[in-house]
Amino acid sequence: MTESVSIRGAEKTYQSKHGPVPALGPLDLEIEPGRFVSLVGPSGCGKSTLLLMIAGLLERSLGDISVAGLPVNRPLTNVGIVFQGNVLVDWRDVLGNIMLQIEMRGLKRQDYTQRAHELIASVGLTPFTHRHPHELSGGMQQRTAFCRALIHDPPLILMDEPLGALDAMTREQLRGDLEALWLAKRKTVIFVTHSIEEAVQLSDEVVVISPRPGKIVRRVEVDLPRPRTLAVRQSAEFQELVGDIKQIFLGYGVL
Amino acid sequence: MARIRVPQPSLGWLRAQTAGRLLTPVLFAAAILVAWEAIIRLFKVPMYILPPPSAILVQFVMKFPLIWQYTLVTGQETLVGFGFAILFGVPMGLLVAISPFLRRTFYPLAVTLEMVPKIVFAPVFISWWGLGFAPKIYVVVLVCFFPIMLNGILAFTSLSLDLRRFCLSTGAGPLRTFFKVQLPAALPQLFVGIKAAAVNATVGATIAEWIGSDAGLGFYIQQAVGQYRMDIAFAIIFMLAALGLFVFWLVNLAEHLLIPWHISHRIPTGLG
Repeated sequence: MTESVSIRGAEKTYQSKHGPVPALGPLDLEIEPGRFVSLVGPSGCGKSTLLLMIAGLLERSLGDISVAGLPVNRPLTNVGIVFQGNVLVDWRDVLGNIMLQIEMRGLKRQDYTQRAHELIASVGLTPFTHRHPHELSGGMQQRTAFCRALIHDPPLILMDEPLGALDAMTREQLRGDLEALWLAKRKTVIFVTHSIEEAVQLSDEVVVISPRPGKIVRRVEVDLPRPRTLAVRQSAEFQELVGDIKQIFLGYGVL
Repeated sequence: MARIRVPQPSLGWLRAQTAGRLLTPVLFAAAILVAWEAIIRLFKVPMYILPPPSAILVQFVMKFPLIWQYTLVTGQETLVGFGFAILFGVPMGLLVAISPFLRRTFYPLAVTLEMVPKIVFAPVFISWWGLGFAPKIYVVVLVCFFPIMLNGILAFTSLSLDLRRFCLSTGAGPLRTFFKVQLPAALPQLFVGIKAAAVNATVGATIAEWIGSDAGLGFYIQQAVGQYRMDIAFAIIFMLAALGLFVFWLVNLAEHLLIPWHISHRIPTGLG
C-alpha cells in the first residue's frame, strides 16, 4: 500500500514582535502514490516546515493538506519519519531502537523481529545489532533511523535532511542504501534536502522551492534509469538536470 | 615460513595497572596520616586541639559499640529521609514539568525556598515535634527534596523536540510515551539531583541531631567536643565520612543498575 499527498494553498506564517512573518507558501502540490519526491531549497525556505505540516506535527496557517484523501488535522500515524536530528534513544541497542516504533504502536514484537533483522542486514548493520548508539558512527546511527522509519511498513515516508549531518563519503554510501530500500518497496517518499545532486540522484521528481517565503518555482521530472549508478550520475542528462536547478538558485542569488 | 613475533602485552601488565589505580589513593591517604602523626608529635600539639591519628584510632576501637549504635541511628534517619525525599521529589518534579498551573504557582515558591538555608528549620521542627526520630526525618526530607525536585523538573522537560515528534507520529498514548521514552530519558538528570541530595542527607541528619537530640552521631560529637575530647570527635568524623560514602555508593549502585547505557561511556571517577 502506498499513498498520495495533496497540498492546496498551504501557508505558514509565524508571529513575531515585528508582526507576522510569512515563512512558506501559498503552495500547491500533488504527489502521486509510490513516487520519490524531493523538496530542494536554500536554508530557511520552509521546506522542513512543509514536511512537518504534511506529518501533522506543525499547524498550517492557511490551506489544506490531505494524505490518501483524508485531511491532516492531527499528527499522522500511518507514516515513517526520519528526523533531522538523531532521535535514537541511548538506552536501546540498534534492534531495540527499531523495535521502539513497534512497541510505541502497541504492535506485537515477535511479528516484526524477522523484518527488523532483514532491514538491519539490508543496510549492513548485522554485526552491530546489539550495539548502543554511542558505539555507532553517525552513518550507522542514521541507517538505524531509516530502519526505524520503515519497520512498520508505512505507506508514506517523510525524510527531513536525513543525510545533512554526515560527512561526504558517508552521505554517498547512504544515498545508495536509501535508493535500494526504496526500490524494494516503492512507497511514497517526500525527501527534504539542500543538496541538488542528492535530490536528482534519488528522486522521480525534484520540487524546487524559492528562498523565504518558500514557493514552488519549478517541478523537475527525473526520468533516469534506476538504480542511479555512478555511470548514470556521470551521464550528460544527469549533469544537465543538476545544472538546470543550479541555474534557478543562481537567479535567486543563493548560489 | 618465518614469522615476526610481536610482543603482546600480558594480562599481568593489565592487572598491575588496575592494582596501581587502587593503590595510589590508598598510599596517598596513608602518607597524609603519617605526616599528621609526625607533625603532632614533633610540635607537641595538645590533644584537646588536634589529636594524632593513633589516638583517634584508639578511641574508635574503644568507643566502637557506642559509635556503631549511634551510626545506626544517624544512618536510619539519613536513609529513611533520603528515601522519602526521592518518593516525593521525583513525582513532584514530574507534576511541575507537565502542569503549567503548578509551574506558575508551586515552582516559584520552591525556588524561593531552595534559597533558604533549610537547616534553620531544624530547631523549629524540634520545638514542634520533640527530640525523637521524626523531626530528624523531616529535616533530611527537607534538605534532600529540593535538589531532587528541581532536577526532576529539568529531567522531565528536556526531551528533544524531534524525539517528542517521533512519539506523536507513532500514535502512542501519554502513558506509553512516558514509560517507553520520557522516563528512561529523564533518568540521568534525575540521578544528578539524587546525588546532590545524597550529599545533603547526612549533613541534614547530623546537624538536626546536633541541634536537639539524645542519640546519633551528631549528638555524640556535640558531647565529645563539649568535654574537649577531640580524639572521640575525630573518631566520629571518620565514621560520618564512612556513612556518607556508603550512601553515595548506594546511589552509584542504583545508577549502575538502572542506567548502564549511560554510565558505560563515562570516565571512571574513582567512586562506585
